[in-house]
Amino acid sequence: MNRWAVVVGVVMLAVVGLALLPASRAPLSTGVPSTPEALAERRGALIDRLVFTQESDPGRVTGLLETGSHQAFVQGIGSIPVYRRLRDAPGADYDLSYGSSVELTLNPVGPTFRDGRLNPFHVPAIREALHQLVDRDYIAEELYGGLAVPRWLPISTAFPDYARLAETARALELRYAYDPAAAEATIAREMRALGATREAGRWHHRGEPVTLILLIRNDDERRRVGDYLANQLEDIGFAVERRYRNAEEASRLWIAGDPAAGQWHLYTGGWISIVIQRDQAQNFSDFFTPRGRAEPLWQAYAPSPELDALAERLERRDYADWDERQALMARALELAMQDSVRLWLVDRLSVSARASNVSVAADLAGGLAGSALWPYTLRYEERLGGEMVFGTPGLLTEPWNPIAGSNWIFDRMITRALADPPLLPDPYTGLYRPQRLEHAEVTVAEGVTLTRSLDWLSLERQARIVVPEDAWLGWDAGEGRLITVGEAHPEGPLTARTRVRLHYEDGYLAQHWHDGSRRSVADLLLPWILAFERADEASPLFDAAHQPTFEAYRQHFRGWRILSTEPLIIEAYSDQGFPDAETLVAARAPQPLPWHTLALGILAERRGELAFSSHQADRRGIDWLNLVAGPSLAILERYLAEARGRHYLPFAAALSPWVEEAEIAARYAALDAWVASRGHYWVGDGPFELAAVYPLEGSLVLERFEDFPDPANEWLSLSQAALPELTTRGPLVVHAGDSAEVRLSVTRQGEPYPAAAIDAIRYLLFDGQGRLAGRGEPRPLGEGEWGLTLDAERLAALGAGAHRLEFILTSQRVALPGFASHLFATLPATAPEASP
Amino acid sequence: MMPRRSWGRDLRYLALYLVKRLLALLVTVLIGVYLTIVVANMGGQVDELRRVQIRSEAFEQVRADPAFQEMASAERNALVERRVALEVERLRLDEPFVLRSVDYLQRAMRLDLGRAEQMHSDAGSRRVSDIIVERLPATLLLFGTANLLVFFVAVGSALWLSRRYGGRVDRLVIALAPSSAAPGWFYGIFLILAFAFLVPLLPPGGMVAAPPPQGLAYAISLARHMLLPVAAMVLSSIFVSIYAWRTFFLIHASEDYVEMARAKGLPSRLIERRYILRPTLAPIITNFLLMLIGLWSGAIILEQVFNWPGLGSLLFQAIGFRDTPVIIGGVVIFAYLLAVTVLLLDLLYALLDPRVRILGEGRGGA
Repeated sequence: MNRWAVVVGVVMLAVVGLALLPASRAPLSTGVPSTPEALAERRGALIDRLVFTQESDPGRVTGLLETGSHQAFVQGIGSIPVYRRLRDAPGADYDLSYGSSVELTLNPVGPTFRDGRLNPFHVPAIREALHQLVDRDYIAEELYGGLAVPRWLPISTAFPDYARLAETARALELRYAYDPAAAEATIAREMRALGATREAGRWHHRGEPVTLILLIRNDDERRRVGDYLANQLEDIGFAVERRYRNAEEASRLWIAGDPAAGQWHLYTGGWISIVIQRDQAQNFSDFFTPRGRAEPLWQAYAPSPELDALAERLERRDYADWDERQALMARALELAMQDSVRLWLVDRLSVSARASNVSVAADLAGGLAGSALWPYTLRYEERLGGEMVFGTPGLLTEPWNPIAGSNWIFDRMITRALADPPLLPDPYTGLYRPQRLEHAEVTVAEGVTLTRSLDWLSLERQARIVVPEDAWLGWDAGEGRLITVGEAHPEGPLTARTRVRLHYEDGYLAQHWHDGSRRSVADLLLPWILAFERADEASPLFDAAHQPTFEAYRQHFRGWRILSTEPLIIEAYSDQGFPDAETLVAARAPQPLPWHTLALGILAERRGELAFSSHQADRRGIDWLNLVAGPSLAILERYLAEARGRHYLPFAAALSPWVEEAEIAARYAALDAWVASRGHYWVGDGPFELAAVYPLEGSLVLERFEDFPDPANEWLSLSQAALPELTTRGPLVVHAGDSAEVRLSVTRQGEPYPAAAIDAIRYLLFDGQGRLAGRGEPRPLGEGEWGLTLDAERLAALGAGAHRLEFILTSQRVALPGFASHLFATLPATAPEASP
Repeated sequence: MMPRRSWGRDLRYLALYLVKRLLALLVTVLIGVYLTIVVANMGGQVDELRRVQIRSEAFEQVRADPAFQEMASAERNALVERRVALEVERLRLDEPFVLRSVDYLQRAMRLDLGRAEQMHSDAGSRRVSDIIVERLPATLLLFGTANLLVFFVAVGSALWLSRRYGGRVDRLVIALAPSSAAPGWFYGIFLILAFAFLVPLLPPGGMVAAPPPQGLAYAISLARHMLLPVAAMVLSSIFVSIYAWRTFFLIHASEDYVEMARAKGLPSRLIERRYILRPTLAPIITNFLLMLIGLWSGAIILEQVFNWPGLGSLLFQAIGFRDTPVIIGGVVIFAYLLAVTVLLLDLLYALLDPRVRILGEGRGGA
């Protein structure tokens, strides 16, 4: 016994000793206090080192932030308990994003299903009345615990179109506000018109109770939303069969099934967008017409001819100017609400969690994972340097290569930090801003509707844009040479709808890749050539999965050429248009990739050992090219030795004018040294470089790229969303004959909101019946204050009762509009007291 | 001469017996694997779900891509259809499920695990063997440590307790035995809460620190990360194991021949070794071997709770992705291991237990 007691004692001691050992590495450094001088001198990222590690359980997020082991989590969190814990934890903070929505999809076939059962939702008036049956505030505040905002319209409340159409939107929202009595009256009228009768409070049709089948998603909060909707419908006399289904089971019924079979009447749907959509005009076609999708449900849609025509015009961008587009959108919104094959309920908010001493720009739609500016803004508050640990639910989910590698959002988030694109999207407006461009010139042909919002580019119109004959239009994979417009179109001039001239910053081609190689024109040209090679059936690099995308590109692409290399000026021609000139420039700017790493992939795919894309890898039974880990590394090592030995330059006939012989040797030597020190082939040019990859242990390390050309504070002004906070002051009761003065304060974090950042402030005045009684702009009073005087005559026109004054602010710095309501009552003139 | 004839006859019987067992086990494996294929694909109904999923994903990808924003709906839908067709072809969903299921089966039986449909190994390989082999060491390490610990501690303690029947420790173990009603992951949650958050002494999950340290520090980090999951597994099974083995040994300790040995005044250690352990060797070995192959499956929820990159979480992901080759790969290897273990046990029984030979002789004589 004594011997065993000693053994047990030793084991226990070992366990306790192991537990009490200090963590296997030093505590994370939080850097040094930031000074203006140090900030101005620093290049690249604001922190020194960032570790990504796998952590998929949102329940642990708050605890890990509080203990200091992690500084942020990249996944958006929708859990209400976690959100509450984050809100209450002193060591944790969060950013909100608005990328997903919840709606109610209705089955519009009918008026009866194939088996003769009644489908009330065939009637647009019944569908429309449902808006008033649903209390969206209750759903947002109670069912989603504040992690949602009410939504009525087919456009997101967080995206620019909503702000642009705020007046129309607000008026519609009030028209369709929660009013169950009105909803019940409309539905009762229409049900009777369908031949239904109400007996003992229940609707019957042909002697049978009218039973609605509500398909309720049971894998998130939509379960509670579905129950609430079912209760509301039961309250007005319907029997409701609640069918709880997960995503897959539900999709078999509502997407793949025949709606005429009557397996469902209503479905609690949801949609996600991970980027700010600056143009949502397509939504009308997508969600209300048979053109939206080929599935049976969409083919059952029968929009009114006016809505159908408007949706098609908006889809084709068939409008003369922006004002006409806005008018079409406003009318389409109105008609969509009348049609209501879909009822949007809320825009969901998700939470990007971070430590309270960490600051980073999170995207309004995509959160931290969707932000393009996170690598440029991540820092400890008021400090420079230091290291952080980010938790991510997925790491290296699929192989990484820049041509057709992993497209997973969490992998893409990391690779964004390793690249230095010519333009970056503003995380709060979605508008592109220049990163490597000095400026751009955009020219559009007559009839192309395009707006410019920022002043880093110019916009002009031209009757006709002719593509120069020396511009490159294609690639001859057989002969390995570029094809010019002159060769491809000997019959005459080729025209385009848009021309973009990109002026890069001075010394752009003198900047370096992470392995020390100098950037060159070949880095811009090779990815473009590769796109053609991969779409050419005669090429050994042909990839059938790439072809459809490439064909779409060829439909609008009209050529490009390099006008100058110092400074670099590129001109690109296309028939593709966007509502924003900034987006057009971003779409035309080529993204450079290091030609020497691509060369190894090209060699490996030609020899049938690796493939750039998943599809090609599966088809040929080989490995998908992975530049950072796995079996690809050994293969790439062989090809690096070969390429270095024979000074291999892919597509030499096309690239050799841009690459000197010495550069070839220098590039491969640099890559060799890079691989020897880092153990992988991912060479980027962003503010971070990939320092180490540990695929089995599920972590990777980024380090600051010290040779990054920009100062570290370049994007700091966009660290936080400039959300305006609106408050009103004014009388609550106005007597007849009096005027009323209402004040509006616009602030942000207690300071007046910058006047230059305000796009517009408007007001809407609604009378007691919810009718629009007036609109206009308040007068500026300075220092974030606005005033509006409602004179006696105007108030008298409203009549006695409760009225609503709505202020709407649209900002140039954030897509989310600001709202404030002022409710007041007008009293009738006092009657003279009667004499006794 | 006699012993040689007897050995030859025994070997002949043994070989015949083993061949029959081998065939029976192969048929069992075949049926088990095919059932897995059918169940994992819901008898082919998964095909329909996957088609819907593929179509939805293709549509959303095209819809979200600014490059396609200006396309007319008809063009966009055509693009979606082409993408769907490519994916359907890649996953062979255009072939009838019955044909595919037979193909899955014959490959599985030949241990040709093929390529995953959706998943990759952490290092980026799509070969199912790579995916499984990559996760195997983590599972073997964690579950091997915990299960071996539980097994030997339980057997040793049970032997000790069987000599102290009714004592204080014995009563304590009996009282604690119901604690094993809760699974390991349940204890894991509390252990994480206590030792990773309330008193943050140990990491809450993962296999090593991020980034992984080098050399001895790696081993220490690994040991620190193993402490909580091993503790959770030990807590959840140690008391009931001790209780079960102790009862088992008590039954054998009350056999007449053991009482006789005691009466003869033999030392208690000798009685344990020769009169209790030796006759009970077969069930102990059976239990030990089944425990060893049980390591293969890992534990889905426990690995999820501790974020442990093992086979359990791999299977969980494979089910989520409906990646049939990975599911089949995991199952077929488990099935073969089980079959081999059962065969090995049959062989061991034949060697250890004379009654197997007697049975053969009896049959031969009939």
